[in-house]
Amino acid sequence: MNLHAMKLVTIVCEAYARKPVTELLSKVGAHGWTLFSVEGEGSHGKRFADIQESANIQIEVIVQSDVAEQLMEKLSRDLFASYAMIAFESDVRVLRPGKF
Amino acid sequence: MELFETIQANLLSPAVLFFALGVFAALVKSDLKFPEPLYTGLTIYLLVAIGFKGGVAISAAGFEKVWLPGLAAIVLGALIPLWTYPVLRFAGRMTSVNAAAIAAHYGSVSAVTFIAATNYLDAVNQPFENYATAFLAIMESPAILVGIVLGKLASRSKGDSLMKSMKSATHEALLGRSVVLLMGALIVGSACGEAGMEKVAPFFVSPFQGVLALFLLEMGIVAGRRFGDLKKVGGFLVAFGILAPLVNGFVGVLFGQAAGLSMGGATLMGILAASASYIAAPAAIRLSLPEANPTLYLTASLAITFPFNITIGIPYCLAVAQYLYS
Repeated sequence: MNLHAMKLVTIVCEAYARKPVTELLSKVGAHGWTLFSVEGEGSHGKRFADIQESANIQIEVIVQSDVAEQLMEKLSRDLFASYAMIAFESDVRVLRPGKF
Repeated sequence: MELFETIQANLLSPAVLFFALGVFAALVKSDLKFPEPLYTGLTIYLLVAIGFKGGVAISAAGFEKVWLPGLAAIVLGALIPLWTYPVLRFAGRMTSVNAAAIAAHYGSVSAVTFIAATNYLDAVNQPFENYATAFLAIMESPAILVGIVLGKLASRSKGDSLMKSMKSATHEALLGRSVVLLMGALIVGSACGEAGMEKVAPFFVSPFQGVLALFLLEMGIVAGRRFGDLKKVGGFLVAFGILAPLVNGFVGVLFGQAAGLSMGGATLMGILAASASYIAAPAAIRLSLPEANPTLYLTASLAITFPFNITIGIPYCLAVAQYLYS
């Protein structure tokens, strides 16, 4: 099978950060993303995820490594200070690289 | 003496008792929990039901009776942040952004507090204008916008971002989910009138009290979980969360009276002024003033002012109205 190396960027953040994060994703050139509701605990306290004010989401996006770099830099520069958020990247191998 | 009797009557309503049950469940760390989609679903039901009912009332009363008190509601909503901001900023020594965020919440309104107040008026046989829901709908946004402008002006670090963030804030404040639902249902209700009401009454009227009780159970859990944050936010904000509804409620009743509402209607205007938002305002503030600390405004609004209003604030506003109209 023909697998291609890409980066998977995972962002776990408060639900209210959805708009700024997804806007940033299209700005840096990501072609799509997946989002799901999560709950947990972190430095901003326990996120009960019962009402939208305390809901958490996880956004996953697969991009080329240069896009991942840009994305991480802009996340930390523009959004980390204002929103409850963590982000990390990992290596993945994908089929059909043109989709990303 | 009469005030205490009415407070007692209010405390024994299903809504307040279920709220207390929710608080209890949270305090004893029960695993009772509503999934977020249910909370959202109950919110949608309540907003559409009261919006529709209010719209039908507008169609019955005629728009000429509604516009003057409606205007009073908008002015009141826009003015409240202007006097709460300096109190928070200078007496409470909050940062300007936090003061603006909290001021926006207290100028904006809580739909459930309003619904609890209409229930209470029904229970004590105090008539009121059914179209008062319109004031709830239009009082939601002005304070949020004023609060955001205050916050932005005070923190002019990024000068050029004011216009851009005002644009997104205006969108959020005027077209956020609660405003769209409430305003939309009002318009639909006023277009349908009584004939439309007959069609939807089995769904929107008969089960309403049960849905409200369920929603307040959830609100009790949500508020109870935040009681732990009361220590974090400090004594000033706790005092503010109680004094602001007392002062704003009084002013609200005055506005209602000046705009020609009945005693019941003025009571509702009072409770609108006394209440603090926890749906529309947090969403708009989080996006427009993200540097404001949510623990402060959510704790004040949900864990202090909301419980205070549904237990004492509502009978208090009626007592103020009875005093002013006598």
